[in-house]
Amino acid sequence: MVKYLSQEWAEQAKKKVLTELDKAKDLKNMNASLLNVVQNIPPDNKTIYYYIKFTDGNLDELITSTDESIKQKQADFIVAGDYTTFIQINNGQMSSAMALLKNRVKMTGNKMKALTITKPIDNYNRCVNGVPTDY
Amino acid sequence: MKLSDVLETTKKEPHCGLCRIDFLGTGVCSAGKKHGFVAYYPEGRMELARALAEHEVEPTEALRDIVNSCNLCGVCDRQCYFVTQRRPTQAQHALQDYLKTLPPEALKTTPEDDIVKGLRAIVGNSWATNDPIIIASYQRSVIKQKSKGKYYIAMPKTTEEIVAIVNLANSHKIPYIPRGNGTFFGVALQTLLAEPATIEQGIIIDLWRMKDLEVDPESITATIGPGVTSFELQKAAHAHKLRANVAEAESCVIANAQNLGIVTTWSNTYGWGTDNFIDAEFIDSTGTIQHLSDKDIPNPYAAEQGLLSLSLIPSVIITKLTLKLHQILPDEEAIFVPFTNLSDALDLAHELAQRNIGVSLAVLSRKYLTEFISPTHEIAEDFNHIAEKYLKLNYIVDVICDKYSKKTIEELAKVTFGQTMLKSLILGSSKLASMKDSSLLKMIAEEEDPLKAVFGGPMRKHFEKGLAASPKELVKVFDKDLQEFFEKLYSKPELTDSIWLHNFRILPCRMERKHMWMYRGGYMPGDKETILKVVDALEKPAQQYDIDGAFGFLSYLERGKLAHLEYDYYYDHTDPEARKRVNKAIVESWRRQFAIKGVTPLEFICSKGLHRKEHIIYPFLPGLSEEELGHFEELIETLFGGEDTW
Ligand SMILES: Cc1cc2nc3c(=O)[nH]c(=O)nc-3n(C[C@H](O)[C@H](O)[C@H](O)COP(=O)(O)OP(=O)(O)OC[C@H]3O[C@@H](n4cnc5c(N)ncnc54)[C@H](O)[C@@H]3O)c2cc1C
Ligand code: SF4
Repeated sequence: MVKYLSQEWAEQAKKKVLTELDKAKDLKNMNASLLNVVQNIPPDNKTIYYYIKFTDGNLDELITSTDESIKQKQADFIVAGDYTTFIQINNGQMSSAMALLKNRVKMTGNKMKALTITKPIDNYNRCVNGVPTDY
Repeated sequence: MKLSDVLETTKKEPHCGLCRIDFLGTGVCSAGKKHGFVAYYPEGRMELARALAEHEVEPTEALRDIVNSCNLCGVCDRQCYFVTQRRPTQAQHALQDYLKTLPPEALKTTPEDDIVKGLRAIVGNSWATNDPIIIASYQRSVIKQKSKGKYYIAMPKTTEEIVAIVNLANSHKIPYIPRGNGTFFGVALQTLLAEPATIEQGIIIDLWRMKDLEVDPESITATIGPGVTSFELQKAAHAHKLRANVAEAESCVIANAQNLGIVTTWSNTYGWGTDNFIDAEFIDSTGTIQHLSDKDIPNPYAAEQGLLSLSLIPSVIITKLTLKLHQILPDEEAIFVPFTNLSDALDLAHELAQRNIGVSLAVLSRKYLTEFISPTHEIAEDFNHIAEKYLKLNYIVDVICDKYSKKTIEELAKVTFGQTMLKSLILGSSKLASMKDSSLLKMIAEEEDPLKAVFGGPMRKHFEKGLAASPKELVKVFDKDLQEFFEKLYSKPELTDSIWLHNFRILPCRMERKHMWMYRGGYMPGDKETILKVVDALEKPAQQYDIDGAFGFLSYLERGKLAHLEYDYYYDHTDPEARKRVNKAIVESWRRQFAIKGVTPLEFICSKGLHRKEHIIYPFLPGLSEEELGHFEELIETLFGGEDTW
């Protein structure tokens, strides 16, 4: 078990995606970067930034950090929401698209482009779900 | 009577919510009024009787209280029978008999937890609960059936209490959702929209107690709380000889305003969306109270557009709304222009819309006309058949206007009819149904123009005479013990007065008496070509998935520049197979609508009602390309799983 959004978790998640997902079939050769802003993390309501970047379907970066400077990476999409919602997304109870629909997360970025990556991001999330995680 | 004896009825409960308002002048269920929770209203008893029969919930002590709170006065039978031909007292009898079979120890107590304690500290002990029996009564009208989540119900009375509830929910990190009268949920929760439309656990904020209502005749406005229904607002407005632009009687005006922006047959003249809203007080997700008129709030007019803008859960809770009312002209009259085909009906209605003729203006379908005005569904079906086969009456341009406009319409239209004929059709509908294969109807059908013959020609008198319209005649089809009540009711002028019926809209829920329905359609440019394409885009999926689909009504907006269309899919929501088919038809209809330039399907307007409409409709969305539609399908799959999981 690794703690959700810890360095160890990030490493295992990245490894799993790189080994298990097909760049073309599962990740549709996507070119996109996404910054998840995970808010209100107990016990002291801190925020963790969870950044991923894909180039041609390859997961170049998966970083989790409390350092705000990660915002400078100018992600294509910023998705902000509560820790409890990200847990639901990560453990497969809710897709990120459903979280958006339910107003649980707020997204900024080009909506038309977002549409093209909903499926690969869903495949990504499903894969990452497989990391034995402790919340 | 056993719960299983009434299961057929209780399963079909559509949650139309009409038995929570005094729409027939009978008064309202006294137990419901006293206790507030849906469980104490006929609607909730029906749902509870079903949930117990289907073993979805265990009895608790609240059940005894709910059952004993009813004195079987029979008001609900009159109300519900008027709309759906159902009799909620049967569910009450079944609940009473069921309770008698239970040993006292079977009624469990529900322990308080911190959240319900917190809620009770905010709203008072009587107005918050975590009792599974009370919660079960909210199933299918805000909570998904068989949901395993942990829920609470709170009924606040003030804005400050809602702020405290939002803060409590945030501190416990649980979601919350406001409920007006639950009728939008009643429709959506039967479909694949159930998941995105509601919460999987958390606090249901039932706003029914917040009924502040003030009309200011000087500024011709009203300020209302979120528990005020369209019927109640309209009644208050009428006391000042004013009119509110509201939709069906039982919907809470604020829920409707935020959800769909309130589009009615009056909208070409009175407007829609923000046209009618002056100010609103609302609470955001951090529990902060804001007003539309505050200068430094985040831009309240910003709204997403297009495919990814679907959002069925409101981002704020509106606690107060000030909206415009409208003056009623002294010489208003109803005038109806019957048509055989839609294209001709659209031509006339569009012409009228462009010239701003008609305070209320809509194209109604045969289905709506016959379903709304017939006392039973069976009569509606016969009437529908007669209208189609013999009268060739498929659409009606339905106008309420002043005497000058009336003259113009009469000049433009080949044939019209008015209040007298409508009254005859309402009171004579059962007689008409019995004339199904009569020689009179056959003669009419043989005429070159049956519509003209019936509504404008020499046969009009014979036809009206044949209907033998009277309240006494009409009520013969009702249950014996209710006939006296309904004869008196139908003798009241308003029950057959077209203008009153347009104002108070107590009839649309009759759509729900046989089967559930799902609204389709949305907003589009007002040109005929686009409208006909959209009708086709909605009709085809219905045919493809064997759903009973029918045009409902079309209103023009902004002098015919835009149109709002409602097309309905009717289906048996107690049949899982039918539910699957309707879901497939919904997705297919989205796909087809998005392929047409300028069309925004209805669901994509949701939760944007208070926003400036221009941001939702303009710029017109280009029709999606095949590639984009492919992505849309992927989005649907991500959201709802593959077709086989719906
Ligand atoms: C038979 C029928 C005919 C209809 N005809 C029309 C029509 O002609 N024109 C039209 O515009 N609509 C029409 N509607 C739609 C209907 O009026 C709306 O869906 C309306 O929201 C229902 O009101 P309600 O009180 O039952 O809402 P609910 O079902 O209780 O709630 C609807 C939505 O509003 C949210 N909500 C409730 N209260 C608040 C609040 N205070 N603040 C923020 N969000 C809130 C809920 O969370 C939910 O998302 C029709 C519906 C029916 C069933
Ligand atoms: S169908 Fe309508 S009137 Fe009848 S019990 Fe249900 S909510 Fe009440």
